[in-house]
Amino acid sequence: MKIQNKQWAALCILLASAALVYSSSSLAGTEPKEKKVKPNPMLIVQGAKTWKENCGRCHNLRSPKELTDEEWDVSVSHMRVRANLSKGDAEAVRAFLKASN
Amino acid sequence: MKTSLFGSTGLAMLLFLAAPVWAADETESATAKEMNLALLARIEKLEAELAAVREAVQQSTAIATRAETNATKTAASVIKVKKFASAAADASYAGAPSDSKWHLAGYADVGFVGSNGPNADSFVTGKFNPSFHFQYKDKLIFESELEFLTTSDGKTEIELEYSQVDLFLNDNMTLVMGKFLSPIGQFQERLHPSWINRIQGAPAGFGHDGIQPASDTGFQLRGIIPLAKSKWTYAIAVGNGPRTNSEGGVAFEGVGRDDNRNKSVGGRVGFFPTPYLEIGGSYLTTRVNGYMGPGAPGLILGGPIDARYELWGFDASLTKGALAARVEYLSSNRDMLFSSTLEDPAGILLPELGMEAWYGQVSYRLSKIGDSDFIHKLEPVIRYGEFRISGQNELEEENAQNRLNIGLNYWLSPTIVTKAGLEWRDFTVAGVDSETLYQFQMAYGF
Repeated sequence: MKIQNKQWAALCILLASAALVYSSSSLAGTEPKEKKVKPNPMLIVQGAKTWKENCGRCHNLRSPKELTDEEWDVSVSHMRVRANLSKGDAEAVRAFLKASN
Repeated sequence: MKTSLFGSTGLAMLLFLAAPVWAADETESATAKEMNLALLARIEKLEAELAAVREAVQQSTAIATRAETNATKTAASVIKVKKFASAAADASYAGAPSDSKWHLAGYADVGFVGSNGPNADSFVTGKFNPSFHFQYKDKLIFESELEFLTTSDGKTEIELEYSQVDLFLNDNMTLVMGKFLSPIGQFQERLHPSWINRIQGAPAGFGHDGIQPASDTGFQLRGIIPLAKSKWTYAIAVGNGPRTNSEGGVAFEGVGRDDNRNKSVGGRVGFFPTPYLEIGGSYLTTRVNGYMGPGAPGLILGGPIDARYELWGFDASLTKGALAARVEYLSSNRDMLFSSTLEDPAGILLPELGMEAWYGQVSYRLSKIGDSDFIHKLEPVIRYGEFRISGQNELEEENAQNRLNIGLNYWLSPTIVTKAGLEWRDFTVAGVDSETLYQFQMAYGF
């Protein structure tokens, strides 16, 4: 078990390192700022559904008016990790919350 | 002679007649000359005026050209301003496009706990847990939560609940590094904050001195696997692992330094057959060292000073509309090992330790019952759980129990709740008195 444990840890560290290198290259890039466009209505509808199905699983649904757009940006990123949401789901929820606050 | 006279006379007459004509011609010539001079002067004047007009036209043309140039420049500026205003309007609609953003969140609670046990009824200050979230673009987020507690003797304790960097590797995968809440089960990672937890305390075995790991320090790979209409989630964690505490139990508190060469490896897989039903399974394996308390002379040589520790469990939740039903089960086993304890600082052989805990909980918001707003904000809740311990008598006496909770919550807003509840603790070790608690709490998630 001791050896297996070490091997697991080594494998995971290796994977994490590779992931870190991969992502750091994109962090250092000079990509343009995100383009600001008005979200399409279907994204807002999808966001409302995703919001209800995922956020309500653990806690009551906050009113969209509780936070500003910028605060929702960060709050949804936090919940993307905690609730295991995809990037697409997170963006849809953001679009719904911003359109509703 | 006669002819000559006629001739002379005629000539004279001619002369006589011609003289005034001659005189008249001379007068006309002078007048014409004057007129010519006047005309000449007029022409010169006209020429001067024409030159002046030409100059004026040239100046006007130059002015018009400059005006046209300025107008073109102004039009270009107007277009720029319009573009800027349009971009600003879009930005204000979609949120400020700053690279770094942050958000302060968290929760706090206050309450009262009465008991028929040895402890006096007490007001409790509860907890204040601010959490900070800092985001850089859509690449990563740093998040940390502190917990401020007032102890029973009035001191303030501060603990770091978690402090982690979340790096979004791609659309579906995140690398988490640092001190993180344990991904084992549902309660610790998602349900324990007091504004989310429907009952004042944790289920038996899922709080401190229980089986549920609280946190670990290391890294996680976690994310989502979409599969047709269903969804899988996963969290694989590697960390420093647990330590043996002074009572012989296993404490999983996210230590900052590993006390052995073995890392904990574990995680959870979740499955969503429908969006409202989640089924999860958890597993963790590691090794844990014996406890070395202050003043301990050293552990007995020749015996196992570290032991295998394994934990597994499953959980399920059904959350649809006003109904939330949950069940969780955890089971752990630690092999025997030599360890010092408070009673035996020189070290004793701690026998194999087994723990098992489960709970089931149902809450229902009365949001569709009757027409009263007051009724709509009520939420009855019931929870039953059991916690079993074998191999460590002291731990078993203090913690092994059946626990029943009933409560009634009133939601002032979606994130502010008042809870009133009763808790019956039926300890399983013979001779340990059962206890009834009366619990009141107000919690706010912000």
